[in-house]
Amino acid sequence: MSTVETMKDRGAEPMKILPRGHAALKASLAVSALTFLASCARDAPQDTWQPAGPNAEQIDNLQRPVFYVAGVVGVIVLVAIGWAIWRYRDRGQAIPEQTHGKPVVEVVLTVIPALILLGVAIPTAGSIFKLAKTSDTEMTINVTGQQWWWEYDYPAVGPNAEQYGITAPIVTSGQLVIPENTKVLLRVTSRDVIHSYWIPKLNGKKDSVPGRVHLLRLEGAKPGIYAGQCTEFCGLSHSYMRMEAVVLSRADYNAWVANQLEAYTSPAAGTLAAEGEGVFIQQCSRCHQVNGLLNAVGEPIISAPDQYMVSGAAPNLTNLMTRNTFAGASWDLLTPECREDVWKSDSATFGAKYLNGVTTDCLNQKDLREWLRNAPGKKPMYANPENLAATGGKYRGMPALGLTEDQINSIVAYLLERK
Amino acid sequence: MITTSSKLFYGLGTLSFVGALVWVVAHDGSSLGSIALIFLAVSLLFLGGIASYVRDGHVLSTDTTAHASAPAAQSASGNSWWPLASALSLGMVVVGLISSPGIFKIGVALSIAMFGEWMITNWSDRASADATYNDKVRGWVVHPLEIPIGGALLLTVIVLSFSRIMLSVSTGAGPIIFGVVGTVVLVGGSLVSVRRGVSKTLVGGACAVALVALTGVGLATALNGERHELVEAAEYDHYAVHPCGEEAEEYDEEASRAVSAKSSVAATVIFKDGELYAEMDGFPDPLTSISLQRSYDLTILFRNESVGEHRMILNYGNVVEDLGGGVTRDSKLQACTALIGEGGEQAIIVRIPKPSSASPQSPYNIVVSGVEDSSIEVLVP
Repeated sequence: MSTVETMKDRGAEPMKILPRGHAALKASLAVSALTFLASCARDAPQDTWQPAGPNAEQIDNLQRPVFYVAGVVGVIVLVAIGWAIWRYRDRGQAIPEQTHGKPVVEVVLTVIPALILLGVAIPTAGSIFKLAKTSDTEMTINVTGQQWWWEYDYPAVGPNAEQYGITAPIVTSGQLVIPENTKVLLRVTSRDVIHSYWIPKLNGKKDSVPGRVHLLRLEGAKPGIYAGQCTEFCGLSHSYMRMEAVVLSRADYNAWVANQLEAYTSPAAGTLAAEGEGVFIQQCSRCHQVNGLLNAVGEPIISAPDQYMVSGAAPNLTNLMTRNTFAGASWDLLTPECREDVWKSDSATFGAKYLNGVTTDCLNQKDLREWLRNAPGKKPMYANPENLAATGGKYRGMPALGLTEDQINSIVAYLLERK
Repeated sequence: MITTSSKLFYGLGTLSFVGALVWVVAHDGSSLGSIALIFLAVSLLFLGGIASYVRDGHVLSTDTTAHASAPAAQSASGNSWWPLASALSLGMVVVGLISSPGIFKIGVALSIAMFGEWMITNWSDRASADATYNDKVRGWVVHPLEIPIGGALLLTVIVLSFSRIMLSVSTGAGPIIFGVVGTVVLVGGSLVSVRRGVSKTLVGGACAVALVALTGVGLATALNGERHELVEAAEYDHYAVHPCGEEAEEYDEEASRAVSAKSSVAATVIFKDGELYAEMDGFPDPLTSISLQRSYDLTILFRNESVGEHRMILNYGNVVEDLGGGVTRDSKLQACTALIGEGGEQAIIVRIPKPSSASPQSPYNIVVSGVEDSSIEVLVP
């Protein structure tokens, strides 16, 4: 007995049911339309469909045809199901004869998917091998993840030194800086838990695993900033573990390297920055390294984050203001206007704007000061000194240092000169 | 009417509620234990409700025909060994409590399994009045667990036995045994698959004999111990950072704990024809200057491809110890391999705490003991 008949039998009014069905249909259409429209976003910095380098293009060239084929197959299947549901709906007819086995249909329905999968597998295997190639590497960078930031160190050996002028190790964090059209190989690893490195517009993701070195190719086709996000849940502030890859023209890259290798310059005596240097040595240098910083007797100050941090590392702040971000690229060092000016600039002017670094006018004072005032309040980091028994007294992030406003003022002035 | 089993559930449920209240009071407002107890109480009361509703599954006294035909009236299908196995498992728990945590844990696991089997068998024996159906229904419930777990246990026995044998025999005999056993399994399996007429009893018997033989030999070799190179390697603890004064003998390059360490080394240091150089993933050419990460557990593999025995030494600065009374001691930080013979290799794991710029007087480097004119510069940013 059909549903309609049942309702009629019971004296129910079908029209009361239908509007509810229409409402559900409308809601489904609205959700589908919104989902579809979301794919049209133009300002999507982590969009995998907008490749900006040959490795990402390799993936894009593979995923687009697969997506189209899957889409066509999906539509065919859904239409077939819909047609079967409509055509053979229950109208009170007798149950048809039940049959089993139709070799021709079964063979066709097995062979067609097998051929489709084969068609996908062959270019997929080719792409995997191309993306795993390392013999054409032109530059190598160590990428080390820890809760919740990325460290980049540029080894001063091999082609890095011979062709790119990296004559002494460069250590930075948050923003990876690479020359355009250069085959860069990242040696990705981790100091604590498993993270995953992903700049969607430049390549796929790669897990960073403690004790293992995983290789990831990266190449940017034109100058610009490309955003990324840790894609392996890695603890409390996983969502704050971001990264950016900055691609510079070769000339701009040489300028960046030269700037990174410049010797440390102390602030002029009697300035607020000089006062900040003292506060920095007292409060920050235990964990944060600033290359070239000397103590009162002229000896280099070497930070010891291994004594205070679970990961054994804290960001090197030697050239902090040459970057645009801080605290694991969670916040911008630039004000929104200055940031937009850099991000939206064209390839020709981008390098100059990026190399300009963070100026006094463009410094995002609000977030930086909030961070210095109470870092764990801004980014959860298991940094309560009363709850560190499990880690032997070591922190997983920057603790609240209890700095006074005067100390914060002086540290900000000091950091502004770190470029 | 409150039936017998529902009384038990209601009683336990009430006790759990009371326990939850006591927990809150006794643990200064801590909620975790009380949540668990309340959850338990709700579950027990739910079961009590079901027991009341079905009246414990009792047959009405007036329904005299059911007294013989009801499932509950059926006798068990046969003697059950599960009570005995459960008792032995509980005995193991007790022995484990006194002797070792490992035996205790195995006892607990076995107890859960044996009691579970006992409960299911008791239930399935009286699931219906049809003994054949009861046997089937038991299979539906426990075979999805029994078969994979039994298979995993069997596989564990095979792997453990075979690995004990391989760790016992010499490095020369190992590959031969591996090849012979693999060939026998492959040929035997192929013959059985081709000759479909072969009886299941024959195949089963042959597998059983092979399993018994493998387990017996595995047990014997386990009692006999690993080959002497592995014993020496384990005693030396070759992954620890040793004082570089003592020189241990060369040990087995295929040491049992070397596989994972070798699979992702930070750098491979090679000593060949009196020259020292390094290979690193990402650098296509041999390096005489390498960059290593700070505060990171680095695995460095040393391979001796020169004549004679050599050891690698990693110098990574110095440490000043406060001996008290204003006295300090300045010690070199070094990590060394054992003496490695020609063709041998060893991995060491070391964590470098400070950048190389911290030690301008004694630069970080890798050298080979006794070879002065060849070294690798180590940069630690």
